[in-house]
Amino acid sequence: MMPNDKILSAQIRRRTLLGSMAAVGASAGLSTLGVSKAFAQEPEKPSEIIVRAWGGSWVDSLKAGVSDSFTKMTGIAVRHDLTEDNEIQPKVWAAVAQGRVPPIHINWDTTTNATKSALRGVTEDLSDLPNLKNTTDLAKPVGLDGYPIVNTYGYVYVLAYRPSAFPNGAPKSWKDLLDPKLKGRIALYNDGIGFHFPAQVAGGGKLEDIPGNMQPAWDFIAKIKEQQPLLGEDPDFTTWFQKGEIDAACTISTNAREARKNGIELAWVVPEEGAKFDTDGLWIPKGLPENELYWAKQYINHALTKEAQQVWLDGLGLPGVVPGLTPPADLVGDPSYPTTEEDFKHLIRISSKVQVENESQWFAKFKEIMQG
Amino acid sequence: MRHSRAAYPLTWRVMDVLERLAAAVWPSSFQRGLPYLMLLPAVVLVGLLVLGLIQIGDSSLRTLDTSTFMMSENYTLANYQRALSEKFFATVAGRSLVGAVIVTVVTLIFAFPYAYLMVRTPSSALRKFLLVALFLPFFIGQVVRAYGWLIILGNQGMVNEALGLVGVPPMRLLYNYPAVLFGLVQYMLPFAVLMLAPALTAIPAELESAASSLGAGWVRTFRHVVLPLARPGLVGAGLVVVTLSLTDFAIPAILGGGSQDFIANAIYDQFFRTSDQGLGATLSLLLVAVGSILVGVVFMLFGAGTLAMGDERK
Repeated sequence: MMPNDKILSAQIRRRTLLGSMAAVGASAGLSTLGVSKAFAQEPEKPSEIIVRAWGGSWVDSLKAGVSDSFTKMTGIAVRHDLTEDNEIQPKVWAAVAQGRVPPIHINWDTTTNATKSALRGVTEDLSDLPNLKNTTDLAKPVGLDGYPIVNTYGYVYVLAYRPSAFPNGAPKSWKDLLDPKLKGRIALYNDGIGFHFPAQVAGGGKLEDIPGNMQPAWDFIAKIKEQQPLLGEDPDFTTWFQKGEIDAACTISTNAREARKNGIELAWVVPEEGAKFDTDGLWIPKGLPENELYWAKQYINHALTKEAQQVWLDGLGLPGVVPGLTPPADLVGDPSYPTTEEDFKHLIRISSKVQVENESQWFAKFKEIMQG
Repeated sequence: MRHSRAAYPLTWRVMDVLERLAAAVWPSSFQRGLPYLMLLPAVVLVGLLVLGLIQIGDSSLRTLDTSTFMMSENYTLANYQRALSEKFFATVAGRSLVGAVIVTVVTLIFAFPYAYLMVRTPSSALRKFLLVALFLPFFIGQVVRAYGWLIILGNQGMVNEALGLVGVPPMRLLYNYPAVLFGLVQYMLPFAVLMLAPALTAIPAELESAASSLGAGWVRTFRHVVLPLARPGLVGAGLVVVTLSLTDFAIPAILGGGSQDFIANAIYDQFFRTSDQGLGATLSLLLVAVGSILVGVVFMLFGAGTLAMGDERK
């Protein structure tokens, strides 16, 4: 676990302050976006911009918080492309490699996936977005030069559970998933994402040993395999809880919250071993016409305003990258909505660089265990 | 002698012009090339496939550099070494192959009586019903059908609810290997019936009557007359079902609960989850090779069945 004191508040330095003042001056009386304009002349507006997004409550929240207000302010329609993040990636890579215009303007992506695209060199630099000045350090991708991605919020892979299946109280440890009564009643992501790191701790290992020695994680995952877990993607967890297929899962808190909103009896905890904390972000592929690139940047800039973040992340139930956001009423003090340094002490963060370099091997090892 | 206009109508004249035009474009000396011209669409189609395979072959010889997420410039057999040595791929390949064989056998067992009844029934109403029941699933996609089974076989599904009425607690009917095989059999059944029906139609009903009149019971007639003559249909249907099952993606993904991957699912993971196009391409080529070998062995042992469409069938 790493300290997150820098994450929790915007670091207001002299340079930042001066930059902000200049931006305010430049934008005076100009922007209806609620953002400062760093561009001298407004290029031609495209009829629409295409934003790749996850479906369900994810896209609903983005639409309510960012897209609708962006359209209202600029007149540019926003089309949400619900192609899976993993499937849009090769399409974008191929388009950039072949010199074609990419199929989307903005990719809403996991930071790990986005980092792969940044390392491949297919992302536009977003360092000139004026609203970056108002963000916490969480917005900055770790281990990359500049801002090929802008992180927009963080999230926690919690242990979600059905309280009626735990009559003696909430589970305290990931080891509680090994209870024989939960055989066939638990779920994980089908590549193990979110579970590798807490499994390392639950298996008796140390986080400092990642990625060098993850045998404790694989040993613990092998035990979990004996519990015959279901393996799926985000929408599966909500469905499985709703259909009574599972009683517990390692999933992003947003999915559990969505199921609870739909009337399912559900709660979640950050177990004593900790839970993985990660980020998602927005990025723009190379190869867009200049005017479309400009407006795509404006969209991301708008997504970094306090107003947009508040509505967007209220829907997702996740902490944003702009200071001063109000947590949703149902998540005040919730471990899946970390706001204090104390909250972050219970969360596990591993750098994107380590994750990107080793993810393929971890996925393969997880698959090997689960498919065996 | 002057021809009247009525004796040589305008439409004939138009046809003459068209004929002369056709003769100019395609002279009679080109007639021998006509069969080759008819082959052109197939050649183009196969050519495109071959080009794709060459591209995939090229990718399979390159490895992923995780510091740049680009494919290597140099050729290497590392991906083949991984695919053939890692236990995970052996497990998935074994599951796919065994599953394809089981699905083929079970499907043929179910498809044969269905096709036989459809062909032989004297009732046109029953024949129409069987035909409609056969074609209806084709209008519903594979994914939708798989989700249908989730509704029927889920913990809160119709089957478990019915069992609950007689006091049986809910049981896990989904997300295991049998569920995947069950879904595949249901998906493949119409294909098998469609392949079997023409072969059964070609068997004269009089042969069965003759066998019967010579004292053979139903079982002997089936074993010594119907089954041997239906062999081309069984081989053709078996080939279609085994290749489709071996390469299926959606049914294992949806009904397998994430733990019953087939080869196609492993290929998807490499292309889209780990961004390793080289390993994905390698697995794709190996799947093509295994499928081709399997089909080749069947061709050698049993012939091509209805797929031969020539002397070999007779």
